[in-house]
Amino acid sequence: MRRSKSTHPSYLAVLATFARNSLVRDMTFRGNFLIECVTSLAWMTMNLYFYMLIFQFTQEIGSDTGWSKFPFLVFLATTMLVNSLVQTFIMPNAAEFSELIRMGNLDFALLKPIDTQFLISFQKIQWSSLSNFFFGAALLAYSLARLNHVPGVIEVVLYPVYIVTGVAIMYSLMICLAATSVWMGRNQTLYDFWFYITTFSRYPIEIYKGGLGRPFMIGFTFVVPILIVANVPARFLAKPLQKGEWYLAGYAAIATIASLYVSRQIFRKALVGYRSASS
Amino acid sequence: MIAIASSAGLWWTILRTSLEERLAYRADFALGTLMRFLPIVTQILLWKAIFEAAGEKEIAGFQYKDMVAYYLIVMISRALSSMPTLASSITLQIRNGDIKKFLIQPVDMIGFLLLMRVAWKLVYYIVAIGPFALVFYLCRGFFDGWPDAATMLAFITSLAMAFLLGFFLEVTIGMIGFWFLEVSSLLFIYMVLNFLLSGHMFPLALLPDSIEPWVRALPLQFLAGFPTEVFLGNVTGEAMLRGLWTQFMWVVFFLATSRIAYHYGVKRYSAFGG
Amino acid sequence: MAIIEIEQLTKNYRVYRKKEGLLASVRGLVHRQYQSVPAVRGVDLQVEQGQFVAFLGPNGAGKTTTLKLLSGVIHPTTGTARVMGYVPWKRSIAYRRRFALVMGQKNQLWWDLPAQESFRLHQKIYQIDHRQFQKTLNELTDLLELGPLLGQPVRELSLGERMRMELVAALLHSPEVLFLDEPTIGLDVVAQHNIQEFLRHYQQLRKITILLTSHYMKDVAALCKRVVIIANGQIMYDGSLSDIINRFGGHKVVTFQLNGDRMPDLSQFGQVLESIVPRVKLRIDRQNVTTTLSHVLAKYTVEDVAVEDPPLEQVIADIFSTASENSREPA
Repeated sequence: MRRSKSTHPSYLAVLATFARNSLVRDMTFRGNFLIECVTSLAWMTMNLYFYMLIFQFTQEIGSDTGWSKFPFLVFLATTMLVNSLVQTFIMPNAAEFSELIRMGNLDFALLKPIDTQFLISFQKIQWSSLSNFFFGAALLAYSLARLNHVPGVIEVVLYPVYIVTGVAIMYSLMICLAATSVWMGRNQTLYDFWFYITTFSRYPIEIYKGGLGRPFMIGFTFVVPILIVANVPARFLAKPLQKGEWYLAGYAAIATIASLYVSRQIFRKALVGYRSASS
Repeated sequence: MIAIASSAGLWWTILRTSLEERLAYRADFALGTLMRFLPIVTQILLWKAIFEAAGEKEIAGFQYKDMVAYYLIVMISRALSSMPTLASSITLQIRNGDIKKFLIQPVDMIGFLLLMRVAWKLVYYIVAIGPFALVFYLCRGFFDGWPDAATMLAFITSLAMAFLLGFFLEVTIGMIGFWFLEVSSLLFIYMVLNFLLSGHMFPLALLPDSIEPWVRALPLQFLAGFPTEVFLGNVTGEAMLRGLWTQFMWVVFFLATSRIAYHYGVKRYSAFGG
Repeated sequence: MAIIEIEQLTKNYRVYRKKEGLLASVRGLVHRQYQSVPAVRGVDLQVEQGQFVAFLGPNGAGKTTTLKLLSGVIHPTTGTARVMGYVPWKRSIAYRRRFALVMGQKNQLWWDLPAQESFRLHQKIYQIDHRQFQKTLNELTDLLELGPLLGQPVRELSLGERMRMELVAALLHSPEVLFLDEPTIGLDVVAQHNIQEFLRHYQQLRKITILLTSHYMKDVAALCKRVVIIANGQIMYDGSLSDIINRFGGHKVVTFQLNGDRMPDLSQFGQVLESIVPRVKLRIDRQNVTTTLSHVLAKYTVEDVAVEDPPLEQVIADIFSTASENSREPA
């Protein structure tokens, strides 16, 4: 019998091929591509407009939170950056994965000699959502220029790192939810669930207080750490970081690793329970 | 008589099967209805923070609890006037020729679609009434008690018209499918404008004075914002009656346009063959 | 050592039993009833390297489930299996590089892109050396006559062309074991024939081991010497095609060509299948054939007589229906 390599393929090369294939595909449907760019930009603009309206009536969001207009816009820009990355790299695959499981078509993915989670996580890339990324970056530049303080070098370097950890946390959540299609059948609700849960991540952690807010703050920081996602990187840039707040950054790193680990375990369990479709 | 009886029978069957289908995915169903209220939590918390920092008791005529009450009621409005997949299914049927069955059989397509939507909405409310009641009970502190009978009547009328307006508006958009192949871009624009300008995203009273009258001139406010303002007593007396009348005229307008578009659309479709 | 060894392989599915009606749906909110449905029941099988084996069976027999178990796509309830020494559901990377699964009417190629883009992805994932890849690709596309179609988006291809592309995708990494699940289903006769020819040629050339499931007798008769009949999750027969008739074909078809215009009534000898002047075709139980022959030959003037086996499809269909009758009996 022939000797067979038990090593994994070059994940980088495979990822590059995914990127290329998705781009080719998006370009064959150029009209759709443009529409998607325009609509996502429209949503972003609407959101921005809403907050501009709010700041006509108040100087700050929450008393003494430090989230005055331009720091808050930094926060908003951060949410846009994270969300655009999630929509570009993660959403298209999550939707596809749920469908694959539901129709029992995951078989082909399971046959390939490559890590299955990698395959289903990255095979599709929605390039049109990058338009949001540029919008967010522009907003970030605009508001950074108008801040009262200048962020330090460490903060600036850590910012993109924590954007990535934010995306990683969202990714883990998505994998967990999509994997449960194996046990729970039809999944439109899960998709909605994802949407509702992630809207919580788009607000500064300071609003989660009082009888109603505290349980959410605790739940969404320690159980499903989505409040970490935008809050941590935004705070680095928008507000001078107090001494006591560095622990938050450390916690974010731990939360990310834990989330990725948990989601992988759930994913593997899901594969064992996978039923495939009848012929 | 037989026609009415048989369509009533059909209607009951549709209603029953829709309910069954909903209940078949029980995990789905239980979670789904409650989840629609999650955004209310963030609205409650966000506006609290805004009012706190603003220091004022009122913003654009709303107190804090009025603001929350607004968002709760606008959900009801929106649930009634939103017509998911209506326009897109019409254009799909035009595109793949399924529309022919309406042209051959003596069934009025718009009437049929209307009945279907009524059934769906009824199913939705029957199935969702538990979670709705629960949430409103929990949030009762945001309300100043029930409005008086006249206001309630006006509110319910306005809701019914919001439903019809939403329906005929989307049917009209769907009819464009007779002339253009790609309606989805138009639909996107409609959805975006709807969210922004109907009072769904925020009360229209927040808009600056230079913009507000223009937005109010659009029919969109009658899908979400206006019924809510009626309920909360933000628009009363003569202004409210005028508003109801305007809403009614918009319903008639879109009813007419949908019928006219259908008539000419069918002509064009038959002329080009299907 | 056999290349495929299966021992007592069993797979049961839990299925939610839904009752009709609104009240039952409401009850279903709170209390669900499950039932265990066996798909594969204690299958034992050994396949040697280089064999071309057919799985034949009615719908729901467990053929596809068996293939999926052997591919590692699903996990068994109990039992063991080894393919080339690997346990399939452990899904080791090394195992996955050495076999392939093709499923009829199911596509793994990217729908909107030309097939060659999917093939390129394949190359990266399977780590196929570039020169080897080109060589294999050319060979396969020549054999399957797909050359000009490589650059066309897959969604523009006909069903037959798509299936052939799927075969290319499956064989690019030169697997030693090939699983085919109804590869010709839904195709027209010409397309079916092409694929059968290709498979025969390829197997003779490469001497790989192939497991094929099918409904179609033509697939089986053309390609496989060994046939395994599965029904109700169990193996009912495992042997050569010709032996099936000997074992299960309990009757023969005898055709008499008689002299004269009068057609005698021969129904006493067996079931009359056809009676058109001057021929009578009878279905006669095996053991009665000789006596019938001697009687008829003695009594009538017979110009010609033919004794044939019943059509294979008929025999197999009979096996299937007996199996499903047996399954409907109370346990």
